[in-house]
Amino acid sequence: MAKVKNKRNAGLADRVHNKKKAEANKKKLNPFEVHINKEKLKVLGKKSKHDRGLPGVARAKAIQKRKETLGTEMKLINKTNTFIDRRIGEKNNQISAEDRMIARFAAERVKQHSKKSIYNLADDEILTHRGQTLEQIEKFDDPKSSDDEDEDKQFGGLDNDFVSEGHFGGGVLSKAESKDGAKSHKDLIEQLIAESKKRKAEKQKEKEQTLDLTEKLDSEWKDLQPVVFKKQKVQEESLIDKLLSKAEKGQDYDRMMRELRFEKRGTPSDGLKSKEKQDEEERKKIEELERQRELRMISEEDVTAPKNAKTPKHRSADDLDDNFELEDEKEFMLAYDKDGKPLVPEHVLKDYSVPNSKKIFEDGVSDTSEEEGEEESDEDDIKAEKDENTDEKSEVNKSEDSDEETSDESESEQETEKRNEKVTTKKSIKNLNESTGLKRKHSSNSDEDAASRIDSNKKSTVNSYIEKESLHTSESKIIKLNSSNDDKNMSDDDDDDEDEDEESSDDSKDGSDDDTNLNNLNDLKGTDESDEFDDIEDSDEKIGSFFELKSVEGDKLKELLTGKTPSQHTIALQKLIKSYDPGLSVNNKELLSRLFAHLLQYTHDVFSNISEEGEIIKSFLIFDRLVPFFYDLIHINKVSTKKFLVELLKEKYDAYKRNTKKVPDLNTLIFFKLVSSLYPTSDFRHPVVTPSLIFMSDILTLARFTDAYSVSRGFFIVSLILEYTVLSKRYVPAAVNFLRGVIFLCANTCVLNPVQVVPPFRLHKSAKILILERDCSKMTAERKMAAKDLAATEIDDSLKIRCLLTAMLMLKEFFDNYIEIEALEAIFEPHIQLLRRVDLDLYPKKVSKKISEVLTYMKQTLEVKTYTQMSREKVKPKALRLYEPDIQDVFTGSKSSKLSKENADRARLQGKYKKEMKGALREIRRDKAYIASVKIRQKIQSDNVRKDKVKQIYKDASIQQGELNKLKRMK
Amino acid sequence: MAAVQPNLSKMISAQLRNKANEFLNSRKHANNLADILQMFEAETENYTPLLLTIEVIFTELLKRGDLIQHIVPLKPIDHSPEAEYTRWLCECYEAAIVRALECMRRGKTSSRLQALVTACKLLQAEGKHPLEQTTGYFFPSVRLKNIFLVLLDSETSMSAPITRFQEFTEYRDMQQHGLKVLAALAFRKSPSPIYMQNFLELLDKLLAAKIPLDNKGKGKDRDIEENEMKVLCASEGKPNFPYNPAVCRRFANRCWSFACQWPLCEEPRTHRRALLLLVERLMPLLNRPHLATDMLCDSLDAGGPISMLALQGVLELVRHHNIDYPDMYDRLYAMFEPEMFATRYKKRLMHLTDIFLSSTHLPESLVAAFAKRMSRLALVGSPEDSKGLLQLVANLLLRHPALKRMICCEDTPAIMSNDPYVMEESSAARARALGSSLWEVRALRGHWAPAVAAAAARVLAAAERDPPQSLALEEDSALFDAELKKRFKTIEVNFIRPQTMALPSGERLLQYWELTA
Repeated sequence: MAKVKNKRNAGLADRVHNKKKAEANKKKLNPFEVHINKEKLKVLGKKSKHDRGLPGVARAKAIQKRKETLGTEMKLINKTNTFIDRRIGEKNNQISAEDRMIARFAAERVKQHSKKSIYNLADDEILTHRGQTLEQIEKFDDPKSSDDEDEDKQFGGLDNDFVSEGHFGGGVLSKAESKDGAKSHKDLIEQLIAESKKRKAEKQKEKEQTLDLTEKLDSEWKDLQPVVFKKQKVQEESLIDKLLSKAEKGQDYDRMMRELRFEKRGTPSDGLKSKEKQDEEERKKIEELERQRELRMISEEDVTAPKNAKTPKHRSADDLDDNFELEDEKEFMLAYDKDGKPLVPEHVLKDYSVPNSKKIFEDGVSDTSEEEGEEESDEDDIKAEKDENTDEKSEVNKSEDSDEETSDESESEQETEKRNEKVTTKKSIKNLNESTGLKRKHSSNSDEDAASRIDSNKKSTVNSYIEKESLHTSESKIIKLNSSNDDKNMSDDDDDDEDEDEESSDDSKDGSDDDTNLNNLNDLKGTDESDEFDDIEDSDEKIGSFFELKSVEGDKLKELLTGKTPSQHTIALQKLIKSYDPGLSVNNKELLSRLFAHLLQYTHDVFSNISEEGEIIKSFLIFDRLVPFFYDLIHINKVSTKKFLVELLKEKYDAYKRNTKKVPDLNTLIFFKLVSSLYPTSDFRHPVVTPSLIFMSDILTLARFTDAYSVSRGFFIVSLILEYTVLSKRYVPAAVNFLRGVIFLCANTCVLNPVQVVPPFRLHKSAKILILERDCSKMTAERKMAAKDLAATEIDDSLKIRCLLTAMLMLKEFFDNYIEIEALEAIFEPHIQLLRRVDLDLYPKKVSKKISEVLTYMKQTLEVKTYTQMSREKVKPKALRLYEPDIQDVFTGSKSSKLSKENADRARLQGKYKKEMKGALREIRRDKAYIASVKIRQKIQSDNVRKDKVKQIYKDASIQQGELNKLKRMK
Repeated sequence: MAAVQPNLSKMISAQLRNKANEFLNSRKHANNLADILQMFEAETENYTPLLLTIEVIFTELLKRGDLIQHIVPLKPIDHSPEAEYTRWLCECYEAAIVRALECMRRGKTSSRLQALVTACKLLQAEGKHPLEQTTGYFFPSVRLKNIFLVLLDSETSMSAPITRFQEFTEYRDMQQHGLKVLAALAFRKSPSPIYMQNFLELLDKLLAAKIPLDNKGKGKDRDIEENEMKVLCASEGKPNFPYNPAVCRRFANRCWSFACQWPLCEEPRTHRRALLLLVERLMPLLNRPHLATDMLCDSLDAGGPISMLALQGVLELVRHHNIDYPDMYDRLYAMFEPEMFATRYKKRLMHLTDIFLSSTHLPESLVAAFAKRMSRLALVGSPEDSKGLLQLVANLLLRHPALKRMICCEDTPAIMSNDPYVMEESSAARARALGSSLWEVRALRGHWAPAVAAAAARVLAAAERDPPQSLALEEDSALFDAELKKRFKTIEVNFIRPQTMALPSGERLLQYWELTA
């Protein structure tokens, strides 16, 4: 232990000693050498390097440095040679001499072993000669050239003996020997020359020989070639020959062929697709469209809602993502002025106050006229009559004025029309005369028009009418008069119809014409197609000139189509549309959209004024054929066809609004069907579908269902509504209410125990028109509603049964559609209650069974239904936001931080350059000073040397002089 | 017939115009006037041209001052031809007025209306140019009284002329004097229902122009008002008509005090008319409105549209006259039945309900019941009504934050076997609506009408605190027109070509209908 301790102590002592030594070694700062730089501004935390300096030391260092660099350079100035010492470690004086030697030895050894393998000479090197590998060169391309070198190698080809004798011979000894040969030097030389000449000649000869031989070989080879490659060559040549010969023979053909060959052969396109592939593509396309349709089913609000969530402009780093917004609004204190009015900005007051209590309602203060409309029907009559009287009178007043105006207008209109007609009269009259009697009537009609134009203005109102209808002047006149006079009979159904028709379409007359035609044609339904073609053929010319005259297109279409079977409709329309394909002419698109309008008109006409079952079926058959063409036409021009259809709907809606209690006839309802087959009914909002749905719902909520006519049409509408919502499963209260009303009409309800119904059905006022009074359990029931129900005027038992059955089936479908809705019970409970009151025993077995089936199904579903309270989805707590550190450019110290980045960089660099320049200049100056100092020192030195020498000379000279003087004195 | 008639009437009116011009131009044609008056007897239906003619003639005469008789007191009657002529003219004038008044009862509606207008125009002319020289403002009350006597017919309803009469009641002097005259005429023991109707309507029209409430309004305002005030019989150079709202109100009160003694409530029509008048016009004017409480309460019990109207009056009483009404909210609650959709006053009802339920001191259960009931009704209403109801529900949710549990339950939602809400319960507070949720609104989210679906979405998003919006109830056909006005980027069409009427998929019409066989 003691030893160890001792050892340690000894070490410590050493260390202390060493330390002292080191401190002693450390240069002591001479306080006189230190220069302290004065600091003008003290910046806290700034490290200053230059607060103190050692000028003497620094200068000495600089001088030393210059001595090593500039000084050596100066020494070497004007000297061309340099002496570079490459001995290893020679300059490095830190290495001891022994180390130096070892290093040199090691380097030597390494040099020796630098070859990778001494026994493996150049095996992996590829030798090249002028960029070519030797192997390539060894193809003996030019055998001539290679010979010369090896021959001329030594002493111009003289052999060794001769050389050794001739060149190095001499010498006494050998000369003595060779004297025997007795050849003089001259002889020797001559022999030499001769010998070399001979050798040269030999060589030349040899060369020529080989050349000759190779040439010979070449020529022989050439001869041989055709023999070896004969076959191929012959073929090639023959082909070429052929071409040439052919070219000579038929120049034009050839040219043509080449032209054909170089002609553009059509752009490359996808290969013809197989049937399956096409089907596949079609299917994919439809799937895609289906997907888009489903997207459209969702409301835009739902879709865009997440997008719309607007992000606040500024968010604090402490934002917790809870959408908490700092409110800028100042809180206000509620205070009152001396009148007791609150002293608060108005908008604030408005926010907090109750809704405006005084509101003006226009619901019956002023006009007693329609007030009773809804409530008391018995009072209605007196009242309504009076109102109508007043209305009528005011109307008459108005019409007096307006008639004059319209007559003027129509006159001018007529005039322009006439001008148009004149241009084309010849043609049109020709056309018209050629064709049917109807046409002849038309032409006579136009003649009449011309006449009427000349004679008076009084007729003009009537004339304008003619123009529109262009048929049956006198009859239309009568209708016109009727319409103006018969306002009193508005309640009368028939007149009503007429009025409506006139207002909406001005074609009632044609409609009736159609009627007769249709009656005749009812039986034609199943006739052969063959004679149809004949019919069609004569209509070809009509098609050709279809759109020639704008005003009569509608009539032409009617001519084309009336009196034909449904299948003939198809053919005629196909032809018509094909002949005006939009690809054929620019105008055709517009023409076809006009055709769409005429087709709409035609459909309207077909469905106008039909009251018999046969007519209805006929109309539907025609419509059946028309639908595909409607489809084609809307695809040709979506915008304008939509416009036509919407205008039509608007017109119909306005007509309906005039008497909301009456259900519109089929000539309105059919267009709802058309809409559903043309447009996607599931869209959340659609320019055509939504208005028609509104229309239908309005009919179901406002109209009165008191007879067979209205009830059957109600069912028609409800089935259409089902069709509209089959995909979207949207909730349509009007339809559900209608079914409720229908069941109510079927059920026994007593005053004491009422079940709520929804308007338009009323609890104690609606007559129970559908209630079954006698036992019909033996009757066979039809499954579906039929066309005859649309024509029915009285409600018989079978219709009642069918109504209830259909209502049940529809109810079930609605029920299934809405089964997801939680409020299902609230919607359908009244129906179930009402159904309990229906006397099912009276109904046919099948029907009652079906009804009770549906009823139990609904009950069970409702029983199973559970209710969960509405709640929000639990939102996940959001993680705190982590922000990236905001890294900014380093402050460069330049004042001009406003500069752009490039400019700032530039300025900074310029500053740097300036600084460096300054430093460099100073260095150069000091270098100069150093050089000057060196030079002056040299100069002084050399001067001193010279002075010494001069002194020496003077000294010598004086000594000499002294000696001379001494000698003189001696003399 | 119709074509002939206008021509004929045109001819007649041209003739009459000629005659009138001739008469006015020179006295030679004085007989023309007699002729014209005679023609009244010949005509049965359309008096319009005749009435127009006499209007022209007498307005002109009054303007000229031809009708003024210079009667000097204590002097024998002047028998000079000039005076005779004037006297004759005056007689004719009286006769013409009588004729015009008769015409108000007879003939076509348009001519009846014209008769009223003629009578009023003559009244106006006479007011401007009185028959006797006066210095101050003059209003021929006697004429007005005659007109009113005709209008307040006991047998025939005069609603059309009375409606027309409204254009004259805008004039303040007409209003004031009309009320005065009406108050004088009002007393009658047992009037016929028609008389009551006419009376109420006339009173209604007379009050159509609002009577300013505070008598001592600021001086400036009054001046401006006077300048803008429309006065029927104003003529230049004469003092202005001294309009006095207090007088108007007094007479209005007197009219009503007579009227409310009648059996107004016996017939529903009269009842409604009276209520409307009371609620819309009279309430603010009455001196002691609480006297109407009985009537309003009785009406509130009547049910149907009558109670809806009465509701507004009751609201007024409750809000401004400290009337305490028992079971107010239950009555209101009972009005929300599907039948309300058929009544004309549904918008009024919804608006009033919005006010009633805006109080924040109502018990939650009651408001919840209302919300639930309204959403139930929205399930069956037409799109417009549903929209209004949904807006109402949204307002309820905003005003009563506690109801938020009906759309987003904070606790873990329990699964129930049925809806706890009892629709049949007549007391709103006991309907147990708070335990329920507004599933109906969620159902309406899938309503076919985009507007309703959007409204339902707004209700469900009611947690965001927009201020409650006032109910903007639309006209019925507005939805259709609004839909037509919407712009669409594209018009989507079906993509599968139908071969027949039947749709490629989802055909329903032909499922229920056998149309083509």
